[in-house]
This record gives sequence, C-alpha cells and structure tokens, in this order.
Amino acid sequence: MHDQNPIENRTPKVENGITRRAFLRLALLTGIAAGASVIYKATEPVGFERWFRWMLRGNLARFFAPPTRVALAACATYDADVLGAVRAAWQHAAMPNVDGARVVIKPNLVDVVGDAPCFTHPRVAQAMIQLARELGAREIIVAEGATFRRDVQAILDATGYADLLAREKITFVDLNYDDVVAMTLRGGYTRLKTLFVAQTIRDADVLISLPKMKTHHWTQISVSIKNLFGIVPGVKYGWPKNTLHIQGIPAFLAELADSLPTRACAVVDGIVGLEGDGPLFGSAVPSGVIVAGNDLLAVDATCARLMGFDPAQIDYLAFAAWAGIGAIDEGKIEWVGEPRARFQRRYERPSQME
Amino acid sequence: MNATDFLLHVQNADGGWGYRINGASYVEPTSAVLLALNNPNARTRGRDFLLSLQHADGGWGIGAMDAESGWMTAWAVRALAEFPDTRDAMRRGANWLIENAGLVVRDEAARAKIGELFRIDSTLRGWGWQRGDAAWVHPTALAILALVAAGQSKHWRVQEGVQYLFDRATPDGGWNIGNPWMLGKKIPATIQDTAVALLALRAAGEASSDERVAKAIEYLRRAVAHARTPAELAWGIYALRDWRVDIGDALARLVALQSADGSWNGNPFLTAIALTSET
Repeated sequence: MHDQNPIENRTPKVENGITRRAFLRLALLTGIAAGASVIYKATEPVGFERWFRWMLRGNLARFFAPPTRVALAACATYDADVLGAVRAAWQHAAMPNVDGARVVIKPNLVDVVGDAPCFTHPRVAQAMIQLARELGAREIIVAEGATFRRDVQAILDATGYADLLAREKITFVDLNYDDVVAMTLRGGYTRLKTLFVAQTIRDADVLISLPKMKTHHWTQISVSIKNLFGIVPGVKYGWPKNTLHIQGIPAFLAELADSLPTRACAVVDGIVGLEGDGPLFGSAVPSGVIVAGNDLLAVDATCARLMGFDPAQIDYLAFAAWAGIGAIDEGKIEWVGEPRARFQRRYERPSQME
Repeated sequence: MNATDFLLHVQNADGGWGYRINGASYVEPTSAVLLALNNPNARTRGRDFLLSLQHADGGWGIGAMDAESGWMTAWAVRALAEFPDTRDAMRRGANWLIENAGLVVRDEAARAKIGELFRIDSTLRGWGWQRGDAAWVHPTALAILALVAAGQSKHWRVQEGVQYLFDRATPDGGWNIGNPWMLGKKIPATIQDTAVALLALRAAGEASSDERVAKAIEYLRRAVAHARTPAELAWGIYALRDWRVDIGDALARLVALQSADGSWNGNPFLTAIALTSET
C-alpha cells in the first residue's frame, strides 16, 4: 500500500508558488546576471571584448612570459667613464643588435629651466652615440620633438647638444617638424584609432629612448615611456601636445608603448636624477646609475623602485602591466649588473595634479 | 641665392612648401611663404595647393595626409585673404575658426582648482591646436590674425581671444605656450610665443599705451637683444617691427645666420618668416 499518490510524489515541492528546482535555477541565473552586469558596468567605458582581450593578455604574460632583463651600471658623475657604464648596461641587458642598423636616439630635451637637471645630460647622449658607432650602426640620428617650445634650437644651444652634435657630426631631427606618418594604434586604450608619428621614428631600425630619471607631476615619474611623447609631431598635436593628455595619460602611454612602429629599447640617465617638482623644476639627486633594457615598462618600473616608488601605485605602469604590455612585478624582472640596493634612493614626491 | 630664390627653388610639385627641402607640403609653411613672396606664378600654385586641401567643414588639416581640420586653418585663412578670388574659401575657413573654440571649464570646483594651480581664467575661450583641445597662446594668436585678415576684427571671438592672451601673459610680460604659472612656479616666456601674441594684439587694434602691451614689447625687445637662433631673431624682429620698435642689430645678426643657399636652416617656413621680418 502506498501512503501517497505516486504522481503526487514525483511533483517537486512548491515554495511561494514556484518549484524548488525553478527557484534554484532562478537564483543561479540571477547570480550570473548580476556578475555579468558588474563586469559589463566595470568595462563599459572600453567595451567587454577589449577589456577581456587586455585582461587575458596581461594574465598570460604574468603567468607564462619569461622574466625580462634590466641592467644597472654604476657611473658616479658625468665626468666619470659614462661610455663604460652605458656599454656595460647595454651588454648586460642583451640589447638589440644595431650592427648595420639605422639607430634613432631620443633624449629627453623637454626644456631648460634654471639649473634643474630636467633633460638627458649630453654626456650620456655622447656615450650612446659612441657605443652605437662601436657596435656598427649604419646611421645614427639624434631626434626630439620638444614639448613646450617650437624653437628647439634654443634648447639644443642651452643644453650643450648643439656642440655635441657638431663635434660628433650627428644629424639632429626635430620630430615636431618631421614629415608625419599615420600609425595604427593596436591597443584601443584611447578613442584614437591612428596617431601621427614622425617618419624618422617609423623608418628607424632601432629606437633608443634615452630619458632622464625624474619625477613628474602628472605621472609621478617620467622615464622611458613618457619620453616617447616627443615622437609625436607638434605640427599636428601642438605644443604641449595636450590633446594627447586629454585621452588619459595612462591609456595614451599604453598606446604609445604598445603600438611603436620600431623596435625600441631604453637607456636611462640616472647619474643625476630630478626629484620633487618635475618635469621642469625640482632638485638634483645624485643616483649614479645607468639603467638599460628592452622592455620599456620593466625599465620604468626599475627606475620607479630606484626612486623609492612602488610601480604598482603608478597608474600608467599598473595599467600597462595589467594589459600585458610589459613587466613591472619583481618576479618578472631579472636585474643584472650592479645590485639594485646600491642605487636605491627616496626621491621627493612631486605635487600631484589630477 | 637670396631667400626669395631659395623659396622659389624649393616649391614642391604640388604647389606647396614643407618644413625642409624635399619635405612634404604642409599648410603652415605654404601659407607663410605666400605671405612672404611676390612671385605671381609661385603664389598662384601655392594658393591652388591650399584650396585643394580645404575640407568640407571649411577648415584645413596640416596637409594632404590629415583629414581633420585644426589650427593650420588660421594660416590658410590669413594667406587666402591676400587673394581677391578666394573670398568664399576664406570666409568658410573663418567660419570654421569662429565655430571652434578651445575647451572651457564650466565646473566651478575644477575652475577654482585650475585657477589655483595655473593662475589662469579657464572660462575664456581661445583656440586650441585641434578640436577638443584646450586653448593655447599660439593657435589663439594665429586665429586672431586670421579673423582680422578676414575682416572679422570686431567679432566677439576676437575680442575674447584678446582677453585670453592678456590672461595668459607671464609675470615677465611675455608669453609662453599658455601656462604663466605651474604649481606656484613661474614659467618663463619665449620669444616666439611672445612675438606671435604681440602680432595678434597689434592686428586686433590694441595700443602700445596699454600697460600690458608695453610690458610685452619691452620683454621682447630685451629678449631679442640676446637672441641667438634664427627662429628667435626672425619672429622677434617680425613682431617688434610691426610695433615700430627699434630692433638694434638684430637684423644684422639674423642675416649673419643665413645659409649660402639663401635659407635659414634649409627650412622654407623659417625662411619665409625671416623674409617677412626683413621687409
């Protein structure tokens, strides 16, 4: 004998008018929808597809990419053996082969303001020129597109670069007035689809970003990637190329670093850095170091550490690393050459502008 | 060769001029050369080059490669104002300038913050380098020069542009890109920005009896006395002569920097400015 009707037994229990199974399904669907909604909302400014692509590439790089090498070399002053230091850093970092190459060296010649060491010292540029010659470069060009002045000659004269270029018989290209070429932006980090860059950069085999190690009121630090602002032409974007800032500085720097039409590497003038009110004002900090590497992000993250910053707290580094453009994590950078601790300082922070 | 011969010699096949010999043609150097040259044939070809690049919205990009109208519209309008048969193109260009302005800050808190950081009035419209850009001294001065050339000197945008320029003057009396102060630090003026701002103020009808103008002229006069580069000298002389100010030996120093081919630095744009300043 059955106590209950067998048909009734197979009927699911009903809670508040719906079955338990239906209730669980609904709860699950609600959870998924809520999760999707959160992700959609969070990724709304850029779109889910792009966000997912960046996130995936970043995670793949974090988990599977081998560590990138960044070299440190000691050089106490500009009167010391700067060429020896640059050579040592270049060799340790396994930098690009420049034999037979067209090399463009891009120092930071932002401007000249009093005695502030805000530009790459000409001795470092001279060492880089001499090393490129030693390594068999077919053609060496020094190039800059200054940010604040249309007349770069005044900057070249005041910084000692005019004498250096004459002495070394090196061609200088003012990237602000170079012929321009449209570069397709790969990342989609900004609203820009293309960006005009100087043709000299596009036509180079190797681009060496040769920045000064310094603080910056927009980005906290300015090293090899911020230095690339100089490759976009003033004739299109004006002076101080502010329209690119309006794109969002971390996003735009990520675009630049990700879309370069030329193989790039960096050699940083950290012999005397600039702390405090950078990029123009601020004070000298003898740091005695040359930093070099192929991964511009890793070079900048290294310099951030040498200046006493946490790279993960610097927006453009954190964003670019998250998107897989380069490495900033300790475990993903192999430091070679002199030990890092030797050059560790704590640079005065710049006043931050939001 | 003299400067005129150089400019005639380096005119590109498309009728325009670039920033260097054999460089692509751009709107700015082409316009500057048209303002400096008298040769009818070269001017006609240059004019046609400019006309061929005008966009449907009335503006100009930087050259044939640029589909977006921007600051060089001011140069084209100013150059075309010299030709009696290009009135329509000039008027459409002038309208583009009138319709486009640098960003202004409407949010009160942001405005106060900007005032504190940069000591500027961010409600004044000037002109930016590109659409969507903030306003800066150089494109604002060029736009004023263009609108005055186009017969729009009384337009309120010109008047506000003049106010913008006065607001952005540096403590030393001149102008730089447009940031007289940054985080409490004075940003020095430059000769080129000061020169172009003074040219604009002169065109807009400002007088040297105005204390602000007098201070700027004095800054420029002293700066040009120590100027060393062709660009500083050419722009400085151009503006000082426009204001009928004695330039001392500046012209001789500029001529001393001229190359054997008649140019300054092999640059048609710079050569055109130098030629304009000489005459």
